[in-house]
Amino acid sequence: MTQTNWELIHDAASGSSTAKRSLDAVMKRAWPAVYAYIRASGRRSEEATELTQAFLCDVFLARRLLDKADESRGRFRTLLLGAVRNHLADVHRRATAAIRKPKEGLIALDAHESPLGTASAASSSPERAFNTRYVAELIRSASDRLHRELEAEGMPETWEIFRVRVLHAAFQGEAPPYEAIAARLGLTKGACAVRLLIAKRRFATILMEELRATITDPADLSNEVTDLLSLLNAE
Amino acid sequence: MTDSASHPSDDEASPHARRSLGDTLRWSFEFDQSSTLAGATFLTREIIPSARDPFDALIESGPTLHQLEELKNAYKLLRTSGSSAPERSLAARLYAATIATALVRHGAVISSQASATLARAFEELAADASMPERLRDIGALAADALRRAG
Repeated sequence: MTQTNWELIHDAASGSSTAKRSLDAVMKRAWPAVYAYIRASGRRSEEATELTQAFLCDVFLARRLLDKADESRGRFRTLLLGAVRNHLADVHRRATAAIRKPKEGLIALDAHESPLGTASAASSSPERAFNTRYVAELIRSASDRLHRELEAEGMPETWEIFRVRVLHAAFQGEAPPYEAIAARLGLTKGACAVRLLIAKRRFATILMEELRATITDPADLSNEVTDLLSLLNAE
Repeated sequence: MTDSASHPSDDEASPHARRSLGDTLRWSFEFDQSSTLAGATFLTREIIPSARDPFDALIESGPTLHQLEELKNAYKLLRTSGSSAPERSLAARLYAATIATALVRHGAVISSQASATLARAFEELAADASMPERLRDIGALAADALRRAG
């Protein structure tokens, strides 16, 4: 059973014996999307790595965002996105202030000159990178779990059919013909199709479970899927 | 190929990658919410991509004998591996309907089951009010054909 992000967040902030493990789990889930946002905001990879680490340390640890996280705020994705957007704007503001600070005192920052814009009006490109990576990580996590479960249950051929027909076809290009997979595995096409159905259903269950773990209200799942699809489709 | 090679790559910003992620998310959501007919429809379309659903495949698409054998194998497995009792029950009915279609359309018996068992399955198909009328007719014709063959 997937622990919800909120369960992990509360445990991470609780100081319990499992707090460190929960914190690691939250950071692991958060890292790729945060890094993608920072990278898409124009930072080089080394700088983006440092800023991601700084964000996770400064915001998740030093400012105890986990402790303050409020379930009523709904979606972990929007909490994380808002936090990294504000953090990056703060970093930029501090850096710009240090450069511009004249002898006679601090001048106001002009939002128009900021490559990041304001905290509430960040560029759409970093947001798209964040959301894309966020979905990619959910899918990666779900497929890893499906692989582990099918292997543990002695169903490696079911995993192989899913890997080739679904993951490879979707993310790496054309899959080999169905007949070729069936022949290689010594199965009929119908038997392959049934195994693929089983795997797709399991994957769908796991992926939706992972997604439900990031929202407070289970009834909000449909809205979250709709929003993510809209964000992925946005040009 | 390693597993990582089949995962979404780090280049998710490309339109193709984003479309693939969206497609995966969309079908997963639909599968999670799917109806009794969805499993059989999925299997049918894996074997006859142009078919809308199992009924369309058996009644309208003019399936080849080879396609009917593949459908039979798939529905047979779904009888035991379906995710719910209604789905397994539907698969059993489609299994019989596929054998009946092969008999009526191609004059071929694609099952090793005893004639009496097949005849009973065809008669149950013909009497099942939840099935499309034309499929029930195929069940009745197949039962007749078996009787005539003695």
